[in-house]
Amino acid sequence: MSTITALTTQVYSVYIRATPEQVWDAITQPEWTARYFYGARIEVGPEWRKVYSPDGGDDWGSTSVTEFDPPRRLVHEWKSSYNPELAVEEPSRVSWEIEAQEDGTTLLTVVHDQLEGAPKTAESVSGNGWMYVLSGLKTLLETGEPLAG
Amino acid sequence: MNDDRVFRALADPTRRHLLDRLFERDGRTLTELESELEMTRFGVMKHLRVLEDAGLVVTRREGREKLHFLNPVPIRLVHDRWIDKYTEHRVAVLADLKHELEDSA
Repeated sequence: MSTITALTTQVYSVYIRATPEQVWDAITQPEWTARYFYGARIEVGPEWRKVYSPDGGDDWGSTSVTEFDPPRRLVHEWKSSYNPELAVEEPSRVSWEIEAQEDGTTLLTVVHDQLEGAPKTAESVSGNGWMYVLSGLKTLLETGEPLAG
Repeated sequence: MNDDRVFRALADPTRRHLLDRLFERDGRTLTELESELEMTRFGVMKHLRVLEDAGLVVTRREGREKLHFLNPVPIRLVHDRWIDKYTEHRVAVLADLKHELEDSA
């Protein structure tokens, strides 16, 4: 792949046939995230976003939540605790924006920014990283089944 | 329905060129993008609008600037829906042929 610069802000969006409330639940409740977020069990409350390994055993760390406005907007700090090499980098920021559309679908936009101090994380989440999460989330909410493979 | 917009957006060389520019460096203004194309500002705006309607480009305001970001998710979805399906089939056909040839040998 060619050199990519300016990965310090990344934007991803997807239309999902679901309500904003369903999308909100799917990004804040561990029983949902386990089915599309690389198996990670993620629990989000007004102050903390807690991440556990797929079997629920290992604590993959907590990051602070800076905006918690169900079912519209969630902003939290990001640390790549799942990978020791990335975990030592500076924290970055992830914003989830959820907007109901006139046709009954919901537009979900993820902005991962403030990545200046985390170049390896930036590289890791770009390309397939967030894309896999978002296409998995869409498939799960629309079909009730996780992405195959 | 959304696939139609993605295919239509990708069917134009100028728009593919714009996506390539954003792939190289994301988060650019209209002025920056325009400077790399032999086209009027209005023409570039029209193409960006088609890309935006297809969800392939997302714009964000940062201060006084409107920045354009490449959103690869719709391409991934088209890939999952249209490419995986047919390539899997082709692989399966070849696998069957291999079995048949080997069995009859």
